Amino acid sequence: MHSESAAAHVIFGWSAAWVSSLIFVAVYVMVITEKLNRAILALLGAGLMILAGVLTQEAAIRGVDFNTIGLLLGMMVIVGITGKCGVFQYVAIWSAKKVKARPIGVLFMLSIVTAFLSALLDNVTTVLLIVPVTLLITEELKVKPYPYLLSEILFSNIGGTATLIGDPPNIMIGSAVGLTFNDFVFNLTPVILIVMGATLIPIYFLWRRDLTATEAAMNRVMKFNEREAITDPRLLKQSLAVLAAVITGFILAHALNIQPATIAMFGAAALLLLDNFHRDAEEQAKSVHHAFSEVEWVTLMFFLGLFILVHGLESSGVIAKMARELLAATGGDRNVTVIAVLWGSAILSAFIDNIPFVATMIPLIKSMAPAFGGDEALLPLWWALSLGACLGGNGTLIGASANLVVAGMAERAGQPIRFLAYLKSSFLLMILSILLSHLYLWVRFL
Amino acid sequence: MTVKDLLNPHPVTITLEETFGGALKILLERHIRALPVLDSAGIYRGMFYLYDLWELLLPKAATLEGANVTDLSFMPGSLEELREKTLAAGPRSVIEFLKDKEAPAIHPETSVKEAILMLYHHDGVLPVVEKKTRRFLGILTPWEILNRLHDKE
Repeated sequence: MHSESAAAHVIFGWSAAWVSSLIFVAVYVMVITEKLNRAILALLGAGLMILAGVLTQEAAIRGVDFNTIGLLLGMMVIVGITGKCGVFQYVAIWSAKKVKARPIGVLFMLSIVTAFLSALLDNVTTVLLIVPVTLLITEELKVKPYPYLLSEILFSNIGGTATLIGDPPNIMIGSAVGLTFNDFVFNLTPVILIVMGATLIPIYFLWRRDLTATEAAMNRVMKFNEREAITDPRLLKQSLAVLAAVITGFILAHALNIQPATIAMFGAAALLLLDNFHRDAEEQAKSVHHAFSEVEWVTLMFFLGLFILVHGLESSGVIAKMARELLAATGGDRNVTVIAVLWGSAILSAFIDNIPFVATMIPLIKSMAPAFGGDEALLPLWWALSLGACLGGNGTLIGASANLVVAGMAERAGQPIRFLAYLKSSFLLMILSILLSHLYLWVRFL
Repeated sequence: MTVKDLLNPHPVTITLEETFGGALKILLERHIRALPVLDSAGIYRGMFYLYDLWELLLPKAATLEGANVTDLSFMPGSLEELREKTLAAGPRSVIEFLKDKEAPAIHPETSVKEAILMLYHHDGVLPVVEKKTRRFLGILTPWEILNRLHDKE
């Protein structure tokens, strides 16, 4: 790693460690202040790493984890196309009707549906699909949408923690460490199910008195015809088939020795083919252009820049130094380090973007392998990082992208979610989830 | 040719004191789709559109920017329910319905091509105001342009 930096000539002959730290911290601070778009900042920082001589362009490209980018891109295309057929509205309406449209039942069902979808899709995509239907249902029930939206924020982050593909930090950890879809399911899904159950209990006691609806209002929701929500049955069948094949691919990825990005990108290409082969050239151009325009390029460009920034730190020896400091602080005890990573990640992720945080922590934890006796010994640290970073996002309204997306939609719908009001209920629920994760890690791994 | 040569200087207008119900009644009686709203000094304050009625009748999520609700066929609805909603909004002031997203105002000096481009994008009624004071001068609709095109034939 150090050789990459040594090969380059750092500007003014300065230390590569200082220059890379300066660039990294400047970008980090600017990302936190949110004055400039995070993709602009990450790409600028990445460019500066190269121009300042910390990295060569070749070294910068080697630092990019294209497995993460490919997996995100592929899933974004698949979900973008699948979303057009109305299947998510179908599921939300069906689940609301299953509980006879009783407001507290609807709250539980929509929370569980959100968690389930988040485990399979990106959290932001999930809330973009669920929140509009939630607003439709709550307007018909004439109940405040606030508890529903708050709960959907919480469950999108909780559900996303359960699988490799549920949340970007997991994608990054899985890709960097070689952890499979099944590894995440076996090691994280059990504790997520416990966290889900435990979170529903305080939610019930918090909101049960406020959530009442008249028989007439519940009947209006019961008259929703979820079958009519399916706007394109052909696309529905194609999308679900591809989605099922992709998930099966993730499960078998390790046995087949295929990387998740290959599976997601191949699935995206297959779905694009199915959705377009019957169209003429002009229609195909429009349809494919639309499918790619649904991709969150800002997120992908942010990742691209971030990988280069972190690689700059790594190749100049800063990450290794940080790891030594952390080990010294925890007395070189692995169990103490696991708990420190869990709680530290949770508290930090409640206030700062968990993606750059996890991107920094991955090489840091990797470099601890010799101290703890090899890669196997690091496994609990990866689960601690994932649980802390993903669940920590629930702590504040700015803790995760999905939170901000829901807050934005709620504001536009005339139902603003205030920072402090959210903090009051969600921070304690986040602490509860981390406490349960602490116990889980302790019992299972330490 | 500029907007000054085409505008309708005497359209029906309403004041800020008008109610939602009163404005709807005028739209219905005159078979028009929009009403410029002026203050007591004759300054243009916004446009009340028939579009505002549609927005009122639809669920909030359906008109929410970014919500991407493109189909409501799964939601049944009765005329009675829609009538109730319309009646309930009747006493509300038109001020509540004036929004930034509506068609921007144009000026007498605006070129006809620019005005057509704006109609192409907004397909509605363009208010014509004095540049500095925003004093209301009239409106430009597709009909003023069509009439002039027809005259020349």
